[in-house]
Amino acid sequence: MMRLKKKSLRLNFEKFSNEITNLKMSILRIVKQVKKEFRLLWADKFNIMLAIVMPPLIIVMLGFTMTDDSNQMQSIPCIVVSYDSNTFINENDLVESKLDHYAIPYLNAVNKSDLLDLVRFYNATEEIYAMEQARNALISGSIKVILSIPVAFTEMLEWGLPGLIDCILDASNILYIQQSLNAVYDSIKIFINDTNLTPQFEVHGFEEFTIPEGYSSSFNSSIVMALSFMVFGIAFVLSILVIVQEKPIARLLLTPLKRSEILTSKYIAYMLVLLLQVTLLVITSLSMGLYLAGSILDLFIALFIIGFSGLALGVFISSQSKTKTQANQLFLAAYLVIILLSGIFIPIENMPSFLQFFAYVLPLSHGDPMIRGIITKGQHVFGMHFFWLFIISLILIIISFVIFRRRKYEV
Amino acid sequence: MVNVENLNVKFGENHVIHDVNFIVNQGEIIGLFGISGAGKTTIVRVLTCQIEKKHWTGNVKVTDLSPAKKTNHSLILTNIGYVPQLELLNLYFDLSPIDNVEVFTSTYGKNKKEAIKIAKSLFKILDLPEDTWNKRVKHMSGGEKKRLSMAIGLIHRPSVLFLDEPTTGVDASKRYDILTYLKKLNQTLNTTMFIITHDLESALICDKAAILREGKLLEFDTPQKLISSLPSKGLVARFTVEHLNEKLIDYIKKFSAIKTLLRVGNEEIEVLMDDFEENLPKLIQYMIDNNIKINSMSKDFASFRRYFQIRIQEEEEKEKKFKDSEGD
Repeated sequence: MMRLKKKSLRLNFEKFSNEITNLKMSILRIVKQVKKEFRLLWADKFNIMLAIVMPPLIIVMLGFTMTDDSNQMQSIPCIVVSYDSNTFINENDLVESKLDHYAIPYLNAVNKSDLLDLVRFYNATEEIYAMEQARNALISGSIKVILSIPVAFTEMLEWGLPGLIDCILDASNILYIQQSLNAVYDSIKIFINDTNLTPQFEVHGFEEFTIPEGYSSSFNSSIVMALSFMVFGIAFVLSILVIVQEKPIARLLLTPLKRSEILTSKYIAYMLVLLLQVTLLVITSLSMGLYLAGSILDLFIALFIIGFSGLALGVFISSQSKTKTQANQLFLAAYLVIILLSGIFIPIENMPSFLQFFAYVLPLSHGDPMIRGIITKGQHVFGMHFFWLFIISLILIIISFVIFRRRKYEV
Repeated sequence: MVNVENLNVKFGENHVIHDVNFIVNQGEIIGLFGISGAGKTTIVRVLTCQIEKKHWTGNVKVTDLSPAKKTNHSLILTNIGYVPQLELLNLYFDLSPIDNVEVFTSTYGKNKKEAIKIAKSLFKILDLPEDTWNKRVKHMSGGEKKRLSMAIGLIHRPSVLFLDEPTTGVDASKRYDILTYLKKLNQTLNTTMFIITHDLESALICDKAAILREGKLLEFDTPQKLISSLPSKGLVARFTVEHLNEKLIDYIKKFSAIKTLLRVGNEEIEVLMDDFEENLPKLIQYMIDNNIKINSMSKDFASFRRYFQIRIQEEEEKEKKFKDSEGD
């Protein structure tokens, strides 16, 4: 019995020791395989550099852009239009108007506020097109707020009644609404401190930016943001592997076909796809209830040029990437940076100046305001944003041609 | 058709091709043989306008045009076809064979209908099953892809076709099929062919063989003539010797008539001698007298493989002697 027990123990021990040996061998094999994986990773240094350096770099960029200060606009550009004037006949028998005495302290309060930047002041009783000019400035995007001092503002305050200041906001970009309100509050606060009087203000979204009844405001506010992202992103991702993935290019180069012809044909093919994509986007957006203040043609051209910049960037990355992995990594890194610095989350004006420069070079920083302008303000497509997008795309295309000409192919 | 005079290729300090000369006539099949790094691909890359003129010197003409002039490149590339070693580099796997034909013929400005007609005739010569013509290339077998690749190389009816390792990656039985197809195409279309290969069996279909070693052209002639240049016109005695080892080999080598002795198997040797018929019985006697047990013996003409082996071995020995003398 004892012998049997001993034998069984010895067998168990042998089994256990075999298991341990197997485990040791397995660990050794895994260690060797891990070593091999590192060797392979190290073989493509650019890739590993991207994987290691890019994420902290993005965090650093976030750190610079997403500060508490960046939520507060430096100053909101505004125009003050005053209807509060005294009209009288001067000695030359001419009608003259003079600002009433509480319009001036409010104007001073606006000037004193660090959060408002008084771009222009109009005395509406003298300049009959004052409000029209102010509205044009709002549409063009050069100001964010119109502050309108009403007729009898002074009298109302003197009689102890609430003098109502009309505050007309650029509500096309949600980012600016709260900031603009904060700035207007600031000016009222200063006015109260200076005069010990309490005016009130009434906020309106600029009526031309408002969505008529029957249109969904939530759909419209989200589609405005999504359109530029979508068209840029899809064109970008579609073209990212266009060169790096096509192995028979090497063989095509042993025919009379020229490198410039290969690249040109790629651009043409992808532009046609983009054309179809943009057409479908416009049709579906409109049929789903997009309220378009501008023209359909402007929107179409704007979406096309945004997509084209995505295409140019995609081909550029593809032309200089050695492997598919490298192209994909670069795509991810570039797209993250482009979104982050597009001005959609943080106004570009609030970023540090070196990042502002960088942001203005990126396509979406021009694409988003352009689309927003056309849809919400009825702006025309051919402006600075279009020009910049065109220039950026052109530069990328030229660089891509140069790189592709020098790219080494061997069959 | 193709003229190469004093071709030298240098990449910086690296002199990769040394004074190569050869002439190839219309309709010939040329085999470029050599171990890796011999310079086969480099020569073809010069002929196919892939190497910039600043890297090479010499008088080279392909279809009477010099690749030295950039303005000739387009015409040369129209006159030649190229079949790369890897089908991945030659075919769009997500397209059908017919689509691939369209892609490549369009680069030569050929008419689509005519191209498809040519393609179909080539597909028939190459026995590409008709049901694969309109299916995606990725669904074809390895051999089918290889043959399609050849058809694509010939689609514009080039005067010269360059084939890089056409039999590599094909199993042994199919290798001969590929060679047969190539010969068939050559005979039907009278296309000049350059075959870059490690596969010495390809010499079977070659009109001329170029043997290269370290950038130098060692031989350029018909395989038959090259084999005939061996002692006794290439007659070889093959022996199976019991317990064959290096010591025994050295002992056999002492027989004075032996020019070359090669160990070709575990217990097999091949022997080349002067005055073969006269010396063979003497060699057998010599081996018996020295208690070397011969299990079997046969005589045959040397294959091209054997010729290549001997020629490379000779060159290596020459080089070794030269190095030794320099060392002394």
